[in-house]
Amino acid sequence: MNTPGTSITDRPIDDSVSGDSAPLEAILCEEDFRRRASRGPNYERETRALVKLMGALADSPSTVLQTLADTILEITDSDSAGLSLLTKDGKTPHVDGKRFFWPAIAGMWNPHVGGGTPRDFGPCGDVLDRNSTMLFTHWEKRYPYLGCATPLAEEGLLVPFYVEGKAVGTIWAIMHSDRRKFDAEDDRVMASLGKFASSAYQALMHIEDLKFQVAEREKAEAEVRELACGLEAKVRRLVEANVVGIAMFTLEGAIVEANDAFLNMVQHSRDDLTSGRVRWTDLTPPEWHNRDERGIEELKATGAFLPYEKEFFRKDGSRVPILLGGTFFEGSGNEGVAFILDLSLQKQTEAELQRSEDFLAEGQRLGQMGCFSWHVANDEIRGSEQFYRIFDFEAGALITPELIRTRVHPDDLTLYEKMVVQVRTGNHHFEWQYRLLMLDQSIKYLQAVAHATLDQNGQLEYMAMVQDVTARHLSDEALEKARTDLAHVARAMSLGSLAASIAHEINQPLSGIVTNANTCQRMLSAATPNIEGALETVRRTIRDANRASDVIRRLRLLFTKGTAATESVDLNETAEEVVSLLRSELQRNRVVVQLELTGDLPSVVGDRVQLQQVVLNLVRNGSDAMAIVNDRPRRLVIRTERDDGQRVRLSVEDAGVGFEPQAAERLFESFYTTKKDGMGIGLSVSGSIIESHQGRLWAELNEGSGATFSFSLPCMREKEIENEDVLAVSRIDSGDEIV
Amino acid sequence: MNWTDGGSQCAFESPKGEAPAWALPQSQRERSSVGRTLVTIVDDDESVRESLPDLVRELGFAALAFSSAEEFLASETAYGTKCLIVDVVMPGMTGPELQQELKLRRRNIPIVFITAQTSENIRARMLEQGAVDCLIKPFSDIALLDAVNSALRTN
Repeated sequence: MNTPGTSITDRPIDDSVSGDSAPLEAILCEEDFRRRASRGPNYERETRALVKLMGALADSPSTVLQTLADTILEITDSDSAGLSLLTKDGKTPHVDGKRFFWPAIAGMWNPHVGGGTPRDFGPCGDVLDRNSTMLFTHWEKRYPYLGCATPLAEEGLLVPFYVEGKAVGTIWAIMHSDRRKFDAEDDRVMASLGKFASSAYQALMHIEDLKFQVAEREKAEAEVRELACGLEAKVRRLVEANVVGIAMFTLEGAIVEANDAFLNMVQHSRDDLTSGRVRWTDLTPPEWHNRDERGIEELKATGAFLPYEKEFFRKDGSRVPILLGGTFFEGSGNEGVAFILDLSLQKQTEAELQRSEDFLAEGQRLGQMGCFSWHVANDEIRGSEQFYRIFDFEAGALITPELIRTRVHPDDLTLYEKMVVQVRTGNHHFEWQYRLLMLDQSIKYLQAVAHATLDQNGQLEYMAMVQDVTARHLSDEALEKARTDLAHVARAMSLGSLAASIAHEINQPLSGIVTNANTCQRMLSAATPNIEGALETVRRTIRDANRASDVIRRLRLLFTKGTAATESVDLNETAEEVVSLLRSELQRNRVVVQLELTGDLPSVVGDRVQLQQVVLNLVRNGSDAMAIVNDRPRRLVIRTERDDGQRVRLSVEDAGVGFEPQAAERLFESFYTTKKDGMGIGLSVSGSIIESHQGRLWAELNEGSGATFSFSLPCMREKEIENEDVLAVSRIDSGDEIV
Repeated sequence: MNWTDGGSQCAFESPKGEAPAWALPQSQRERSSVGRTLVTIVDDDESVRESLPDLVRELGFAALAFSSAEEFLASETAYGTKCLIVDVVMPGMTGPELQQELKLRRRNIPIVFITAQTSENIRARMLEQGAVDCLIKPFSDIALLDAVNSALRTN
């Protein structure tokens, strides 16, 4: 209400009440009122006014209060007229209100509509307290706040106003001048209007109430209609959409009606249905009868049964897994409607999911791999079964970073804490290796990989995989040790079999020496000594002795010089030496060795014995690879040449059985062998030797038959050559071909 | 024909009492080998082919040397051989293989194996397979003479 008069009600009562305000008697003029001469009653006007009021009540109840105010103004010929009603909130009439408000005012005070006065400190309150009509004059003398209600009241006539016997307000007329004074006739008319107003108000309230009730009912009905309409449409859509199977059934087992979805599910035709051949009791496999009985009991007891899973027979005898739920029709104790969902796909998906979960679990078990997620904000950690197993946590235990910490090996705690810090700072992806100290004091080696993601709420979460690599770690250690051991064994073994070769190599010239010496002796001791022949045998003896010493020289080089880690090695020499050492073995295997050595081949730097061992290995392998070859020469070519980029290459080409192309990568693995009696360490050891010489060892299949194994080593640099102590070994060339 | 006579006189005894033209030695020495028993040596080691025939001749036999079993088989002079001295290990056909081959050809020439292999049981194995003897290099002239004589006795 933004009218000027509202200021009266807005003002707090305390401001208006002052100690020296006038007593109530000072503003009343009752004596005078009774003594005044009364004007004659004007019934015609009165009746006209009341008819008008009745009409207003019938036509537009909302304006009846204003009409009432107008009527009072007209009948009393006053300057302002209106009514005050008790209210709690300043707007709505309420019998226990603490204020009066003015819903309707006619005349000069019309701008004050919406304003009002306090219940206990104002003229209206006085009227209700006395429960009688009162005539006031200049009430602002006692109630100063009314001084604001302009124009000021010369006289104000107030009549109580009752609804259902309870005083709820007043009706009033005000004169702002002494143009006329209220008299007994005004009192009578006002009392009569008050009664009318009371019933009018009551009727109005009733009408409003009725209207409200009608509106409420209409609204409810509309809602129900809409709901029913929507529901019906929904049900129809549901039936027709064939998204779910819908069937109307009887308890006896009949299916009265069903949609296509249901019929498709059980593979029956509509003809089957209409002829009554489709009965839910027949569709149900025997083991589900008990479950159905429980469903029927539930249906009888509650009018519906909660969905449960079961199976139906299809027409061809196969089974379809379904979800079944339903209800009785309203008011029926025998017929109902059921919905049926085909779970085949879901079951299949479930089975697949289960299978992939099984695979995952099995994979995790086999791989000793556990998965876990770490929600950083609340430290919620969820782990897979294998995760619990790795950490030896009790199944279902609540995992916290602190719990994990109790398992971490004391020496790795710093590492673990660093890891937790990394987790909290939200590193994107990381990996660690750390150890666990289990309760039984055993140590586990773990490898963890974590990847940061955001969960559906956008919060940081890690998906992590932890793998128990203890076995691998231990086997790596063991393998490393075995490799070292085997390198020794291999070396010892090749030296062992070398000894046999060496004995053979020395025995050959020794044999020549002995034979020649014997011959010489016989030639000289004959009756006619054969001097010429004896000289020849002596020449051969010397040559053979040189050969023997040559073998011994190589042997000395092999065993004594061999320990020097780095020296200048001539691969041509190495090749020759190896062939010489293996001569008898190669002969025994009927291998024809062809040496294709490049002259002026740069030296390499390395361990002579080791490199010799590599060549020896390759030659032996080549020879072994040709052991079963009988349809072609067992030719073994040992070739040395310059390689690209200051390197030299030595290759051993055989005509043997070769290797499977897919095995090429595995050839150099330890314990990989294609030989029946091989240990599979030769190439692996050779590979590591070449590697330690900054070289490369590889295998290729030949165009024809067999394979070629080659290694390439960096040449000795010029500087090294200058500094090198050239081995002052005088080679005694035996001059014979190596075959 | 590709045997080496090491510059020594090469002699043989023909079963018919006359030497085929291709088998005649290239140089003539004082002592004739005519009438001597032919001992043939097969060894891939050149030094053996040089020295052993000389010793065999000093022992009073005629001697021929071949560098491989295949050459020996192709030579036809093998038919006059009364004793064969054969290296066990050779490229191509080995000593024992030659022995087999001769058996197949029904040529029963007594064989004395020689070898530089030190393995203990090789001698026993060779004797078991029908060799007259098996000499481990280096061997003495006495051992060789004994073996050859044993071989000749089996004829």
